[in-house]
Amino acid sequence: MTNFLRVTPLALAIAAGSANAQSTEETVARMQQQLSSMQQQLNAVKNDRVRFNGFFSTGIARADNDAGFDGITEETSVADLSLLALQGTFDVTEKSQAVLQLIGRGSEDWDPVVEWAYLSHRPTNNVQLRAGKMRLPLFMYSDSLEVGYSQPWVRPPQSVYGPVAVSSYVGADATHTLNLDGSSLTSQVFAGYTDEEGDISEAEFRNTLGLTLSWTDYLWTVRGVAVTTEVTVDATRLSALAAENGLQLANGQSILADEERGKFYGFGVSYDDGIWQIISEVTRAELDGKFADTDSAYISVARRFGALTPYAVVGWIESQDDDEREGAFLAQTAGGPVPVVPESVLNTSRNEYSLGLRWDVTPGIAIKGDVTHVTGFEDEAGGLNPAFVLAEDDDSTNVYTVKLDAAF
Amino acid sequence: MIKHGIVLLAGLLCSTVLHADVVIIAHSSGPDSITENEVRDIYLNRSQQLPNGNRATAFELTAGTPIRSEFHNKITSRNDAQLKAFWSQQVFTGRGQPPAEFGTAAAMKASVSTTPGSIGYIDESDVDSSVKVILKP
Repeated sequence: MTNFLRVTPLALAIAAGSANAQSTEETVARMQQQLSSMQQQLNAVKNDRVRFNGFFSTGIARADNDAGFDGITEETSVADLSLLALQGTFDVTEKSQAVLQLIGRGSEDWDPVVEWAYLSHRPTNNVQLRAGKMRLPLFMYSDSLEVGYSQPWVRPPQSVYGPVAVSSYVGADATHTLNLDGSSLTSQVFAGYTDEEGDISEAEFRNTLGLTLSWTDYLWTVRGVAVTTEVTVDATRLSALAAENGLQLANGQSILADEERGKFYGFGVSYDDGIWQIISEVTRAELDGKFADTDSAYISVARRFGALTPYAVVGWIESQDDDEREGAFLAQTAGGPVPVVPESVLNTSRNEYSLGLRWDVTPGIAIKGDVTHVTGFEDEAGGLNPAFVLAEDDDSTNVYTVKLDAAF
Repeated sequence: MIKHGIVLLAGLLCSTVLHADVVIIAHSSGPDSITENEVRDIYLNRSQQLPNGNRATAFELTAGTPIRSEFHNKITSRNDAQLKAFWSQQVFTGRGQPPAEFGTAAAMKASVSTTPGSIGYIDESDVDSSVKVILKP
Protein backbone atom coordinates (compact mmCIF):
# COMPACT_ATOMS: atom_id res chain seq x y z
CA MET A 1 0.00 0.00 0.00
CA THR A 2 2.65 2.38 1.02
CA ASN A 3 4.57 1.20 -1.99
CA PHE A 4 1.58 1.69 -4.16
CA LEU A 5 1.05 5.15 -2.75
CA ARG A 6 4.63 5.91 -3.29
CA VAL A 7 4.58 4.64 -6.87
CA THR A 8 1.33 6.28 -7.91
CA PRO A 9 2.61 9.82 -8.15
CA LEU A 10 5.48 8.55 -10.22
CA ALA A 11 3.13 6.67 -12.55
CA LEU A 12 0.93 9.69 -12.73
CA ALA A 13 3.93 11.86 -13.45
CA ILE A 14 5.03 9.50 -16.24
CA ALA A 15 1.54 9.36 -17.65
CA ALA A 16 1.26 13.12 -17.46
CA GLY A 17 4.69 13.45 -19.02
CA SER A 18 3.70 11.27 -21.93
CA ALA A 19 0.46 13.19 -22.32
CA ASN A 20 2.47 16.40 -22.31
CA ALA A 21 4.84 14.99 -24.93
CA GLN A 22 1.90 13.98 -27.06
CA SER A 23 0.36 17.43 -26.90
CA THR A 24 3.74 19.03 -27.69
CA GLU A 25 4.06 16.83 -30.76
CA GLU A 26 0.56 17.76 -31.80
CA THR A 27 1.34 21.44 -31.28
CA VAL A 28 4.52 21.18 -33.35
CA ALA A 29 2.67 19.36 -36.12
CA ARG A 30 -0.08 21.96 -36.04
CA MET A 31 2.46 24.79 -36.12
CA GLN A 32 4.29 23.14 -39.01
CA GLN A 33 1.04 22.91 -40.90
CA GLN A 34 0.26 26.53 -40.20
CA LEU A 35 3.77 27.55 -41.25
CA SER A 36 3.50 25.62 -44.48
CA SER A 37 0.12 27.14 -45.31
CA MET A 38 1.50 30.61 -44.51
CA GLN A 39 4.43 29.83 -46.79
CA GLN A 40 2.03 28.86 -49.54
CA GLN A 41 0.13 32.10 -49.07
CA LEU A 42 3.41 34.02 -49.21
CA ASN A 43 4.30 32.19 -52.42
CA ALA A 44 0.92 33.04 -53.85
CA VAL A 45 1.73 36.70 -53.21
CA LYS A 46 5.16 36.29 -54.83
CA ASN A 47 3.73 34.66 -57.96
CA ASP A 48 1.38 37.58 -58.26
CA ARG A 49 -0.45 38.20 -61.47
CA VAL A 50 0.69 41.76 -62.03
CA ARG A 51 4.28 42.97 -62.42
CA PHE A 52 5.53 46.46 -63.01
CA ASN A 53 8.82 47.43 -64.60
CA GLY A 54 10.08 50.74 -65.82
CA PHE A 55 12.91 52.56 -67.48
CA PHE A 56 14.16 56.09 -67.40
CA SER A 57 16.59 58.19 -69.39
CA THR A 58 17.84 61.71 -69.16
CA GLY A 59 20.82 63.58 -70.54
CA ILE A 60 22.11 66.49 -72.50
CA ALA A 61 23.19 66.65 -76.10
CA ARG A 62 24.66 69.55 -77.99
CA ALA A 63 25.90 69.98 -81.54
CA ASP A 64 28.48 72.48 -82.77
CA ASN A 65 26.04 73.72 -85.43
CA ASP A 66 22.38 73.53 -86.40
CA ALA A 67 22.60 70.67 -88.92
CA GLY A 68 20.16 68.81 -86.70
CA PHE A 69 21.59 65.28 -86.51
CA ASP A 70 18.95 63.33 -84.53
CA GLY A 71 17.27 66.72 -84.02
CA ILE A 72 20.22 67.98 -81.97
CA THR A 73 21.29 71.58 -82.50
CA GLU A 74 23.34 74.18 -80.66
CA GLU A 75 20.44 74.73 -78.27
CA THR A 76 19.15 71.30 -77.37
CA SER A 77 17.51 71.09 -73.99
CA VAL A 78 17.70 68.40 -71.32
CA ALA A 79 14.04 67.50 -71.82
CA ASP A 80 14.68 66.18 -75.34
CA LEU A 81 16.65 63.15 -74.11
CA SER A 82 14.44 62.51 -71.10
CA LEU A 83 11.79 59.85 -70.87
CA LEU A 84 10.10 57.72 -68.27
CA ALA A 85 8.33 54.47 -69.09
CA LEU A 86 6.19 52.18 -67.02
CA GLN A 87 5.33 48.68 -68.16
CA GLY A 88 2.68 46.49 -66.61
CA THR A 89 2.48 42.77 -67.29
CA PHE A 90 -0.81 41.19 -66.28
CA ASP A 91 -1.25 37.42 -66.24
CA VAL A 92 -4.68 36.75 -67.69
CA THR A 93 -4.31 32.98 -67.53
CA GLU A 94 -1.27 30.76 -67.14
CA LYS A 95 -0.68 31.02 -70.90
CA SER A 96 -1.97 34.52 -71.62
CA GLN A 97 -0.71 37.95 -70.68
CA ALA A 98 -1.71 41.53 -71.26
CA VAL A 99 1.19 44.00 -71.57
CA LEU A 100 0.87 47.77 -71.39
CA GLN A 101 3.79 50.16 -71.78
CA LEU A 102 3.36 53.89 -71.27
CA ILE A 103 6.12 56.33 -72.17
CA GLY A 104 6.24 59.98 -71.18
CA ARG A 105 8.82 61.94 -73.14
CA GLY A 106 10.28 65.25 -72.08
CA SER A 107 10.12 66.42 -75.67
CA GLU A 108 6.34 65.86 -75.62
CA ASP A 109 5.72 67.60 -72.27
CA TRP A 110 5.74 64.18 -70.57
CA ASP A 111 2.29 63.34 -71.94
CA PRO A 112 2.07 59.57 -71.52
CA VAL A 113 1.83 57.71 -74.82
CA VAL A 114 0.86 54.04 -75.14
CA GLU A 115 3.74 52.36 -76.99
CA TRP A 116 2.70 48.81 -76.27
CA ALA A 117 -0.76 47.46 -75.58
CA TYR A 118 -1.11 43.86 -76.51
CA LEU A 119 -2.45 40.53 -75.49
CA SER A 120 -0.11 37.59 -75.82
CA HIS A 121 -0.97 33.91 -75.76
CA ARG A 122 1.34 30.89 -75.68
CA PRO A 123 -0.59 27.84 -76.86
CA THR A 124 2.62 25.79 -76.52
CA ASN A 125 6.06 26.46 -75.04
CA ASN A 126 7.39 27.31 -78.53
CA VAL A 127 4.63 29.45 -80.01
CA GLN A 128 3.60 32.96 -79.06
CA LEU A 129 0.68 34.86 -80.60
CA ARG A 130 0.24 38.58 -79.95
CA ALA A 131 -2.34 41.15 -80.97
CA GLY A 132 -2.48 44.86 -80.27
CA LYS A 133 -0.07 47.77 -80.50
CA MET A 134 3.58 46.69 -80.79
CA ARG A 135 6.95 47.83 -82.11
CA LEU A 136 7.54 47.33 -85.83
CA PRO A 137 10.36 44.73 -85.73
CA LEU A 138 12.54 46.28 -88.46
CA PHE A 139 15.81 46.24 -86.53
CA MET A 140 17.68 44.12 -84.01
CA TYR A 141 16.93 46.68 -81.31
CA SER A 142 13.40 47.65 -82.42
CA ASP A 143 11.74 46.03 -79.44
CA SER A 144 13.92 47.94 -77.00
CA LEU A 145 14.29 51.07 -79.15
CA GLU A 146 13.97 53.50 -76.26
CA VAL A 147 15.31 51.28 -73.47
CA GLY A 148 18.68 53.02 -73.33
CA TYR A 149 19.83 50.81 -70.47
CA SER A 150 19.68 47.69 -72.62
CA GLN A 151 21.81 49.24 -75.40
CA PRO A 152 25.53 49.94 -75.41
CA TRP A 153 25.10 53.39 -77.04
CA VAL A 154 23.63 56.78 -76.14
CA ARG A 155 21.36 56.31 -79.17
CA PRO A 156 20.89 53.57 -81.77
CA PRO A 157 23.04 54.30 -84.89
CA GLN A 158 20.99 56.86 -86.81
CA SER A 159 22.20 55.80 -90.27
CA VAL A 160 20.12 52.64 -89.87
CA TYR A 161 17.55 53.55 -87.18
CA GLY A 162 16.90 57.09 -88.48
CA PRO A 163 15.39 56.85 -91.99
CA VAL A 164 12.21 54.92 -91.18
CA ALA A 165 9.76 57.42 -89.74
CA VAL A 166 7.54 54.99 -87.85
CA SER A 167 8.32 52.68 -84.96
CA SER A 168 5.04 51.00 -83.98
CA TYR A 169 2.09 49.26 -85.56
CA VAL A 170 -1.29 47.94 -84.61
CA GLY A 171 -1.80 44.37 -85.68
CA ALA A 172 -0.84 40.83 -84.83
CA ASP A 173 2.18 38.58 -84.92
CA ALA A 174 3.04 34.92 -84.47
CA THR A 175 6.45 33.78 -83.25
CA HIS A 176 7.78 30.25 -83.34
CA THR A 177 10.97 29.18 -81.59
CA LEU A 178 12.71 26.02 -82.68
CA ASN A 179 15.19 24.87 -80.05
CA LEU A 180 18.15 23.13 -81.64
CA ASP A 181 21.10 21.63 -79.83
CA GLY A 182 22.79 24.68 -78.29
CA SER A 183 21.05 27.16 -80.54
CA SER A 184 17.59 28.34 -81.51
CA LEU A 185 15.81 29.56 -84.62
CA THR A 186 13.01 32.07 -84.16
CA SER A 187 10.62 32.94 -86.97
CA GLN A 188 8.03 35.67 -86.74
CA VAL A 189 5.32 36.82 -89.12
CA PHE A 190 3.48 40.08 -88.52
CA ALA A 191 0.76 42.12 -90.15
CA GLY A 192 -0.78 45.45 -89.34
CA TYR A 193 -1.26 49.14 -89.80
CA THR A 194 0.54 52.33 -88.69
CA ASP A 195 -0.37 55.99 -88.60
CA GLU A 196 2.31 58.14 -86.97
CA GLU A 197 3.14 61.79 -86.81
CA GLY A 198 6.85 62.56 -86.50
CA ASP A 199 9.04 65.68 -86.49
CA ILE A 200 9.71 65.44 -90.22
CA SER A 201 6.61 63.85 -91.64
CA GLU A 202 3.26 62.22 -91.13
CA ALA A 203 3.36 58.62 -92.27
CA GLU A 204 0.77 55.96 -92.82
CA PHE A 205 1.67 52.31 -93.48
CA ARG A 206 -1.23 50.19 -94.68
CA ASN A 207 -1.36 46.42 -95.16
CA THR A 208 2.05 45.94 -93.65
CA LEU A 209 3.23 42.35 -93.87
CA GLY A 210 6.58 41.13 -92.67
CA LEU A 211 8.76 38.19 -91.77
CA THR A 212 11.76 37.97 -89.47
CA LEU A 213 14.10 35.03 -89.03
CA SER A 214 16.64 34.96 -86.27
CA TRP A 215 19.16 32.29 -85.35
CA THR A 216 21.34 32.39 -82.28
CA ASP A 217 23.77 30.13 -80.48
CA TYR A 218 23.78 32.73 -77.66
CA LEU A 219 27.20 33.93 -78.80
CA TRP A 220 26.39 34.81 -82.40
CA THR A 221 23.03 36.08 -83.58
CA VAL A 222 22.07 36.33 -87.25
CA ARG A 223 18.83 38.05 -88.19
CA GLY A 224 17.01 38.77 -91.43
CA VAL A 225 13.84 40.78 -91.99
CA ALA A 226 11.66 41.56 -95.02
CA VAL A 227 8.63 43.85 -94.97
CA THR A 228 6.20 45.06 -97.60
CA THR A 229 3.68 47.84 -97.05
CA GLU A 230 1.67 50.64 -98.70
CA VAL A 231 3.06 54.01 -97.66
CA THR A 232 1.62 57.50 -97.57
CA VAL A 233 4.02 60.26 -96.46
CA ASP A 234 3.23 63.91 -95.95
CA ALA A 235 6.48 65.88 -95.58
CA THR A 236 5.22 68.26 -92.92
CA ARG A 237 8.68 69.71 -92.27
CA LEU A 238 9.06 70.64 -95.92
CA SER A 239 5.73 72.53 -95.83
CA ALA A 240 6.81 74.21 -92.59
CA LEU A 241 10.14 75.24 -94.14
CA ALA A 242 8.34 76.72 -97.13
CA ALA A 243 5.94 78.54 -94.84
CA GLU A 244 8.86 79.99 -92.83
CA ASN A 245 10.07 81.50 -96.11
CA GLY A 246 6.66 82.95 -96.88
CA LEU A 247 5.77 80.31 -99.45
CA GLN A 248 2.93 77.88 -99.71
CA LEU A 249 3.67 74.64 -101.46
CA ALA A 250 1.32 73.87 -104.33
CA ASN A 251 -1.43 71.38 -103.68
CA GLY A 252 -0.15 67.89 -103.02
CA GLN A 253 3.52 68.89 -103.30
CA SER A 254 4.33 67.79 -99.76
CA ILE A 255 2.82 64.35 -100.34
CA LEU A 256 5.97 62.35 -101.07
CA ALA A 257 4.15 59.06 -101.35
CA ASP A 258 0.48 58.32 -101.81
CA GLU A 259 -0.22 54.66 -101.09
CA GLU A 260 3.02 53.70 -102.81
CA ARG A 261 4.57 50.27 -102.43
CA GLY A 262 7.28 50.29 -99.78
CA LYS A 263 9.75 47.49 -99.18
CA PHE A 264 12.23 47.05 -96.39
CA TYR A 265 15.02 44.51 -96.05
CA GLY A 266 17.39 44.16 -93.15
CA PHE A 267 20.22 41.86 -92.21
CA GLY A 268 22.00 41.89 -88.87
CA VAL A 269 24.77 40.00 -87.12
CA SER A 270 25.86 40.32 -83.54
CA TYR A 271 28.46 38.67 -81.37
CA ASP A 272 28.56 38.89 -77.58
CA ASP A 273 30.90 36.78 -75.46
CA GLY A 274 30.52 38.87 -72.34
CA ILE A 275 33.71 40.81 -73.11
CA TRP A 276 33.37 41.84 -76.75
CA GLN A 277 30.07 43.00 -78.17
CA ILE A 278 30.03 43.47 -81.92
CA ILE A 279 26.86 44.45 -83.77
CA SER A 280 26.29 45.20 -87.42
CA GLU A 281 23.13 45.84 -89.41
CA VAL A 282 22.59 46.50 -93.10
CA THR A 283 19.22 47.77 -94.33
CA ARG A 284 17.55 48.76 -97.59
CA ALA A 285 14.36 50.85 -97.69
CA GLU A 286 12.60 51.23 -101.05
CA LEU A 287 9.59 53.38 -101.78
CA ASP A 288 8.07 54.20 -105.16
CA GLY A 289 7.83 57.93 -105.88
CA LYS A 290 9.86 60.93 -104.75
CA PHE A 291 10.69 59.60 -101.31
CA ALA A 292 14.33 58.54 -101.09
CA ASP A 293 15.25 54.86 -101.34
CA THR A 294 18.14 54.38 -98.94
CA ASP A 295 20.80 51.79 -98.25
CA SER A 296 22.43 52.02 -94.87
CA ALA A 297 24.69 50.12 -92.54
CA TYR A 298 26.64 50.37 -89.34
CA ILE A 299 29.15 48.37 -87.38
CA SER A 300 29.58 48.79 -83.65
CA VAL A 301 32.39 47.35 -81.54
CA ALA A 302 32.30 47.52 -77.75
CA ARG A 303 34.54 45.95 -75.14
CA ARG A 304 33.73 45.51 -71.47
CA PHE A 305 36.41 46.33 -68.89
CA GLY A 306 34.52 45.58 -65.69
CA ALA A 307 32.03 48.41 -65.23
CA LEU A 308 33.39 50.38 -68.20
CA THR A 309 32.45 49.67 -71.80
CA PRO A 310 34.03 51.87 -74.47
CA TYR A 311 32.49 51.60 -77.92
CA ALA A 312 33.10 52.77 -81.49
CA VAL A 313 30.50 52.93 -84.26
CA VAL A 314 30.83 53.65 -87.95
CA GLY A 315 27.59 54.25 -89.88
CA TRP A 316 26.73 55.04 -93.49
CA ILE A 317 23.59 55.94 -95.40
CA GLU A 318 23.10 56.78 -99.07
CA SER A 319 20.01 57.36 -101.20
CA GLN A 320 19.91 55.10 -104.27
CA ASP A 321 17.39 56.83 -106.53
CA ASP A 322 18.74 60.39 -106.83
CA ASP A 323 17.97 60.35 -110.58
CA GLU A 324 14.25 60.27 -109.68
CA ARG A 325 14.53 63.70 -108.03
CA GLU A 326 15.69 66.01 -110.83
CA GLY A 327 12.66 68.33 -110.58
CA ALA A 328 11.57 70.81 -107.96
CA PHE A 329 8.83 71.29 -105.41
CA LEU A 330 6.35 73.88 -106.59
CA ALA A 331 4.99 76.78 -104.57
CA GLN A 332 1.65 78.47 -105.15
CA THR A 333 2.00 82.08 -106.31
CA ALA A 334 -0.36 84.61 -107.87
CA GLY A 335 1.20 83.84 -111.24
CA GLY A 336 0.72 80.08 -110.83
CA PRO A 337 2.98 77.37 -109.47
CA VAL A 338 6.74 78.14 -109.50
CA PRO A 339 9.65 75.83 -108.62
CA VAL A 340 11.09 76.76 -105.21
CA VAL A 341 12.96 73.83 -103.69
CA PRO A 342 14.87 71.25 -105.74
CA GLU A 343 13.68 67.71 -105.09
CA SER A 344 17.31 66.84 -104.52
CA VAL A 345 16.97 68.10 -100.91
CA LEU A 346 15.71 64.58 -100.26
CA ASN A 347 18.95 63.04 -101.52
CA THR A 348 20.81 61.59 -98.59
CA SER A 349 24.45 60.82 -98.14
CA ARG A 350 26.06 60.72 -94.74
CA ASN A 351 28.80 59.03 -92.73
CA GLU A 352 28.71 58.82 -88.95
CA TYR A 353 31.58 58.10 -86.58
CA SER A 354 30.91 57.67 -82.87
CA LEU A 355 33.19 57.11 -79.91
CA GLY A 356 31.55 56.54 -76.55
CA LEU A 357 31.87 55.09 -73.09
CA ARG A 358 29.26 53.30 -71.00
CA TRP A 359 29.79 53.17 -67.24
CA ASP A 360 27.63 50.71 -65.30
CA VAL A 361 27.40 52.61 -62.04
CA THR A 362 25.38 49.89 -60.35
CA PRO A 363 23.10 47.12 -61.70
CA GLY A 364 20.19 49.09 -63.17
CA ILE A 365 21.95 52.39 -63.80
CA ALA A 366 24.39 53.32 -66.56
CA ILE A 367 25.96 56.66 -67.48
CA LYS A 368 27.18 57.15 -71.04
CA GLY A 369 29.16 59.73 -72.91
CA ASP A 370 29.44 59.96 -76.70
CA VAL A 371 31.00 62.09 -79.40
CA THR A 372 29.61 61.65 -82.90
CA HIS A 373 31.13 63.19 -86.01
CA VAL A 374 28.79 63.31 -89.01
CA THR A 375 30.07 64.19 -92.47
CA GLY A 376 30.04 63.28 -96.18
CA PHE A 377 26.91 65.23 -97.20
CA GLU A 378 28.31 65.69 -100.77
CA ASP A 379 26.67 69.09 -101.33
CA GLU A 380 23.31 67.67 -100.30
CA ALA A 381 21.37 67.87 -97.06
CA GLY A 382 22.60 64.53 -95.71
CA GLY A 383 19.07 63.71 -94.57
CA LEU A 384 19.45 66.47 -91.97
CA ASN A 385 18.01 69.98 -91.84
CA PRO A 386 18.40 71.20 -95.47
CA ALA A 387 17.71 74.82 -94.49
CA PHE A 388 20.94 74.84 -92.49
CA VAL A 389 23.17 72.35 -94.29
CA LEU A 390 22.62 73.79 -97.77
CA ALA A 391 22.64 77.44 -96.71
CA GLU A 392 25.79 77.20 -94.59
CA ASP A 393 27.61 74.90 -96.98
CA ASP A 394 28.78 72.92 -93.95
CA ASP A 395 29.90 69.37 -94.59
CA SER A 396 29.91 68.13 -91.03
CA THR A 397 28.44 68.34 -87.56
CA ASN A 398 29.77 67.17 -84.20
CA VAL A 399 27.35 66.00 -81.53
CA TYR A 400 28.29 65.62 -77.85
CA THR A 401 26.03 63.62 -75.56
CA VAL A 402 25.98 62.66 -71.88
CA LYS A 403 23.17 60.37 -70.85
CA LEU A 404 21.90 58.47 -67.84
CA ASP A 405 19.87 55.31 -68.44
CA ALA A 406 18.11 53.28 -65.78
CA ALA A 407 15.88 50.22 -65.67
CA PHE A 408 13.88 49.11 -62.67
CA MET B 1 52.41 17.62 -34.54
CA ILE B 2 52.96 20.33 -37.12
CA LYS B 3 52.19 17.77 -39.82
CA HIS B 4 48.96 16.89 -38.07
CA GLY B 5 48.17 20.58 -37.81
CA ILE B 6 48.66 21.02 -41.54
CA VAL B 7 46.53 17.99 -42.32
CA LEU B 8 43.85 19.33 -40.00
CA LEU B 9 44.05 22.79 -41.59
CA ALA B 10 43.91 21.29 -45.07
CA GLY B 11 40.92 19.24 -43.99
CA LEU B 12 39.23 22.33 -42.63
CA LEU B 13 39.94 24.26 -45.82
CA CYS B 14 38.60 21.41 -47.95
CA SER B 15 35.48 21.16 -45.86
CA THR B 16 35.02 24.95 -46.08
CA VAL B 17 35.36 24.76 -49.84
CA LEU B 18 32.97 21.83 -49.98
CA HIS B 19 30.46 23.66 -47.85
CA ALA B 20 30.41 26.63 -50.22
CA ASP B 21 29.36 24.33 -53.06
CA VAL B 22 26.17 25.29 -54.81
CA VAL B 23 23.69 22.56 -55.72
CA ILE B 24 20.67 22.71 -58.00
CA ILE B 25 17.45 21.69 -56.28
CA ALA B 26 13.95 20.89 -57.50
CA HIS B 27 10.47 20.13 -56.22
CA SER B 28 10.03 16.51 -55.09
CA SER B 29 7.91 15.80 -58.20
CA GLY B 30 10.62 17.27 -60.48
CA PRO B 31 13.19 15.48 -62.63
CA ASP B 32 15.91 13.37 -60.97
CA SER B 33 18.73 15.01 -62.88
CA ILE B 34 19.46 17.91 -65.20
CA THR B 35 22.51 19.06 -67.17
CA GLU B 36 24.41 22.34 -66.67
CA ASN B 37 23.30 23.47 -70.13
CA GLU B 38 19.65 22.79 -69.32
CA VAL B 39 19.96 24.81 -66.11
CA ARG B 40 21.67 27.66 -68.00
CA ASP B 41 18.95 27.67 -70.67
CA ILE B 42 16.22 27.93 -68.03
CA TYR B 43 17.99 30.74 -66.11
CA LEU B 44 18.74 32.70 -69.31
CA ASN B 45 15.16 32.44 -70.59
CA ARG B 46 16.14 30.23 -73.53
CA SER B 47 13.97 27.37 -72.39
CA GLN B 48 10.90 27.11 -70.16
CA GLN B 49 11.00 23.35 -69.92
CA LEU B 50 12.39 20.85 -67.41
CA PRO B 51 13.96 17.61 -68.72
CA ASN B 52 10.74 15.78 -67.74
CA GLY B 53 8.70 18.05 -70.02
CA ASN B 54 7.07 20.09 -67.25
CA ARG B 55 7.04 23.86 -67.38
CA ALA B 56 9.97 25.22 -65.38
CA THR B 57 9.68 27.90 -62.70
CA ALA B 58 13.12 29.19 -61.76
CA PHE B 59 13.99 30.86 -58.47
CA GLU B 60 17.01 33.01 -57.65
CA LEU B 61 18.74 34.19 -54.50
CA THR B 62 18.96 37.97 -54.23
CA ALA B 63 21.78 39.83 -55.97
CA GLY B 64 24.97 40.11 -53.94
CA THR B 65 24.68 36.78 -52.11
CA PRO B 66 27.81 34.57 -52.45
CA ILE B 67 25.89 31.44 -53.47
CA ARG B 68 24.15 33.38 -56.27
CA SER B 69 27.53 34.60 -57.54
CA GLU B 70 28.89 31.08 -57.43
CA PHE B 71 25.83 29.70 -59.24
CA HIS B 72 26.10 32.25 -62.05
CA ASN B 73 29.85 31.88 -62.20
CA LYS B 74 29.49 28.16 -62.83
CA ILE B 75 26.28 28.09 -64.87
CA THR B 76 25.64 31.31 -66.81
CA SER B 77 29.05 33.07 -66.67
CA ARG B 78 27.29 36.39 -65.98
CA ASN B 79 27.68 38.86 -63.14
CA ASP B 80 24.86 40.79 -61.48
CA ALA B 81 25.20 43.86 -63.74
CA GLN B 82 25.13 41.69 -66.87
CA LEU B 83 22.11 39.78 -65.54
CA LYS B 84 20.30 43.06 -64.83
CA ALA B 85 21.00 44.30 -68.36
CA PHE B 86 19.97 40.93 -69.81
CA TRP B 87 16.66 40.85 -67.93
CA SER B 88 15.82 44.46 -68.71
CA GLN B 89 16.26 43.53 -72.38
CA GLN B 90 13.96 40.51 -71.91
CA VAL B 91 11.32 42.39 -69.90
CA PHE B 92 11.12 45.40 -72.20
CA THR B 93 11.00 43.27 -75.33
CA GLY B 94 8.13 41.26 -73.84
CA ARG B 95 10.13 38.02 -73.81
CA GLY B 96 9.81 37.25 -70.13
CA GLN B 97 10.21 38.19 -66.50
CA PRO B 98 13.22 37.42 -64.29
CA PRO B 99 12.89 34.63 -61.69
CA ALA B 100 11.46 35.51 -58.28
CA GLU B 101 14.25 36.18 -55.76
CA PHE B 102 14.67 35.06 -52.18
CA GLY B 103 17.00 36.38 -49.51
CA THR B 104 17.73 33.14 -47.68
CA ALA B 105 18.25 29.45 -48.38
CA ALA B 106 15.30 28.71 -46.06
CA ALA B 107 12.95 30.85 -48.17
CA MET B 108 14.35 29.27 -51.36
CA LYS B 109 13.74 25.75 -50.00
CA ALA B 110 10.27 26.64 -48.76
CA SER B 111 9.30 27.92 -52.22
CA VAL B 112 10.91 25.08 -54.16
CA SER B 113 9.30 22.49 -51.88
CA THR B 114 5.83 23.98 -52.38
CA THR B 115 5.98 24.86 -56.11
CA PRO B 116 5.70 21.95 -58.58
CA GLY B 117 8.00 22.46 -61.59
CA SER B 118 10.31 24.74 -59.63
CA ILE B 119 14.08 24.78 -59.75
CA GLY B 120 16.46 26.64 -57.48
CA TYR B 121 19.92 26.54 -55.98
CA ILE B 122 21.34 26.60 -52.45
CA ASP B 123 24.52 25.81 -50.58
CA GLU B 124 24.95 22.04 -50.32
CA SER B 125 25.09 22.34 -46.51
CA ASP B 126 21.55 23.77 -46.50
CA VAL B 127 20.02 20.75 -48.28
CA ASP B 128 17.33 18.87 -46.37
CA SER B 129 14.59 16.35 -47.17
CA SER B 130 12.11 19.03 -48.33
CA VAL B 131 13.87 19.39 -51.70
CA LYS B 132 15.59 17.15 -54.24
CA VAL B 133 19.17 17.76 -55.39
CA ILE B 134 19.21 17.30 -59.19
CA LEU B 135 22.68 18.58 -60.07
CA LYS B 136 25.99 19.30 -58.39
CA PRO B 137 27.81 21.46 -60.88
